[in-house]
Amino acid sequence: MQRDVTMPQLGMAQDAGKIVSWLKAPGDAVAKGDALFEVETDKATMEVEAQAAGFLTGVSASEGEDVPVGAVIARISDSAEDDTPAQTAAAPAAEAPADDLPDGHSVTMPQLGMAQDTGLLVGWLKSPGDAVAATDVLFEVETDKSTMEVEAGRDGYLAATLAQAGEEVPVGGPVAVISEAAPANPVARSVAKAAAAPAAEPVPTRPQPTPEPSRTAQPAAPQPAGGRILASPKARRLALEQGLDLARLAKAGYPQPYHVRDLDTLRSLPAAASAAEVGTASRRLVAEVPEDGLPGFTAWAAGAHGLSDADAILAALAACSMPVPGPVAVERQGQTKTYALPAGRGLSDAMETDDAPALILRDLRGSRLTSVEMGGEATPALTLTPKGDGLTLTLECAPSEMDAADAIQLLSDFAGRVEQPLRHLL
Amino acid sequence: MREITLSQAVNEAIAEEMRRDETVFLMGEDVAEAGTPFKVLSGLVEEFGTQRVIDTPIAEPGFVGLAVGAAMTGARPIVDLMFGDFLYLVMDQLCNQAAKQHYMSGGKLTVPMVLRTNLGATRRSAAQHSQSLQALVAHIPGLKVAMPSSAYEAKGLMKTAIRDNNPVVIFEDKLMYQDKAPVPEEEFLIPFGEANVKREGSDITFIATSSMVQVAEKAAEMLAADGISAEVIDPRTIVPLDEATLIESVKKTSRAIVIDEGHQSYGVTSEIASRLNEKAFYHLDAPVLRMGAMDVPVPFSPALEDITVPTPEGVAENARKLCAGDMIHAA
Repeated sequence: MQRDVTMPQLGMAQDAGKIVSWLKAPGDAVAKGDALFEVETDKATMEVEAQAAGFLTGVSASEGEDVPVGAVIARISDSAEDDTPAQTAAAPAAEAPADDLPDGHSVTMPQLGMAQDTGLLVGWLKSPGDAVAATDVLFEVETDKSTMEVEAGRDGYLAATLAQAGEEVPVGGPVAVISEAAPANPVARSVAKAAAAPAAEPVPTRPQPTPEPSRTAQPAAPQPAGGRILASPKARRLALEQGLDLARLAKAGYPQPYHVRDLDTLRSLPAAASAAEVGTASRRLVAEVPEDGLPGFTAWAAGAHGLSDADAILAALAACSMPVPGPVAVERQGQTKTYALPAGRGLSDAMETDDAPALILRDLRGSRLTSVEMGGEATPALTLTPKGDGLTLTLECAPSEMDAADAIQLLSDFAGRVEQPLRHLL
Repeated sequence: MREITLSQAVNEAIAEEMRRDETVFLMGEDVAEAGTPFKVLSGLVEEFGTQRVIDTPIAEPGFVGLAVGAAMTGARPIVDLMFGDFLYLVMDQLCNQAAKQHYMSGGKLTVPMVLRTNLGATRRSAAQHSQSLQALVAHIPGLKVAMPSSAYEAKGLMKTAIRDNNPVVIFEDKLMYQDKAPVPEEEFLIPFGEANVKREGSDITFIATSSMVQVAEKAAEMLAADGISAEVIDPRTIVPLDEATLIESVKKTSRAIVIDEGHQSYGVTSEIASRLNEKAFYHLDAPVLRMGAMDVPVPFSPALEDITVPTPEGVAENARKLCAGDMIHAA
């Protein structure tokens, strides 16, 4: 079996390495771990080891030559007679991963040694959204040999972090995205989550206008590294004995650590389907609006038009967003009022009704909850949670209640109305 | 029931045992004529004479070594060490000799001696006369350690100590000698290794030794006003330790603070907290907290000395934090 010998990437800002000297001659027998050649970068000189036993053949780069990172410069073969020159492969292009990440240049896990497959991300020295200079240290990597700081490599903004401290990232795998412009929605995710995301993502298409995949809808409460939930030993034991999932408290945004009394809160959370069931039993769409336009609008409506019932306005805005308008229940702090908006009438005509609602509007703007995942309910539910100056809007419904297109339209329209309620009147 | 001082209780216990068993004798600095600087032993020399109540020279290693020898050869000495701080002087006699004779002789020898000494700061006696060194003694296998928290315990534990065939060190708090408590007139003994639940509660357990039991009880009183129900347990002897009672209590309350007047680091509080962690871990809803004396030489300045030891206010404050589920980073 043949193995290519490539120019390792010894630093993030490194495009090429200079071969200082060959320590083995073509045809030499080599053992795994033998130093093959010395490489010099702008920072250091390093010996590169053979990753397999065999014979050094097909040497295609000579001493003193600058070789692009990733280029094949020799081969380890089973026979010393193998003299086909090694293919010069282009360095693997560092492309920004597809999907929904911000545009920018991808920072990859450097190869710090020839026999290294993965690097352990020790910690981030920058946070998503930070401005970074080319020489700023982005993160630290640990291999079996050493810990090394990895620089940004270019000026810009840290638009996405794709691995968390403590995670192993394959060599060459994306670790971060550096964008030229300040990112609107810096992304922070983990290797595990990125891998699991497609399965755990029931959203068929992303809702407008500023879509946010639901996997990033994490509570703002401090999360311990590695996703471990902080709970007292007793709380943990009781949860186990009673079949309660502490992760649901974390998902609902309750601050950690959890104690025994938090289990009461956990028990009172609406019965949610497990994560696996959610995927098949319900739709969950999340949208974000950078600004909550409702308070200003309701104040204006009250002052200029005498519409003093802010809930009626909220219900009407939601009703107008529904593919088939129906009664809307506004639920806040345990109080529920249901409004109906007669077809073809204006916002001011929303009336209280006793009819069963077609949509529940759960207003959690005054709460500390930042994300909800209630699971399937009898009626589609649209939840408003605070996010900075703006809002996160979460629509949850069973597939039987609303099809994908309708759900997207409802959430998109409502998000637009919440951001700029006046637009509704135009 | 009649109330007597801790001082009287110790005196009664020793007198009763000396009457009961003529091999029991007493020695130490100023025990006979002066009846100790704290007047604990006043009157004993009049009843038992200078043959059984012996004033020694100021030579702690000498007379403690003498007591070890007397105990090995059939007597039951009670040695009085005027201040707990002088334990450093008798480490070899106590830890190398008394503690190990039974083991080294293959069980042929016993050392039925009692070393009475004291602990406790806030008496303005400065760094060399204010230490609480029970942890040093409790660390050595072969020594039992009793820590009475009132006149009642002082009498019952002293009588048990005198009858025990092993070396026992009793620490009395030198500030408590005049504190009164109900003590029965009829004879009673308090067995070693049996903790006393002084106050029942459901939210947090205070495990406290010696005078810290009073501190814990005052803290429990303050917390009751806040609706926090604290249980107070006095282990009475730290060697042997009644683990079962402590663990049972912590299983009930889920939280604990261990309070002892010795220095906090590597101390009695650390040992008890560790055992609770090991044996009641899955019942803990909060970290077990230690509260000992500050890790500094006991200051002479009253203002400084008073802040080096646990107080009811401090215990109550920590208890509130634990019950509220606050993260405790430092006590």
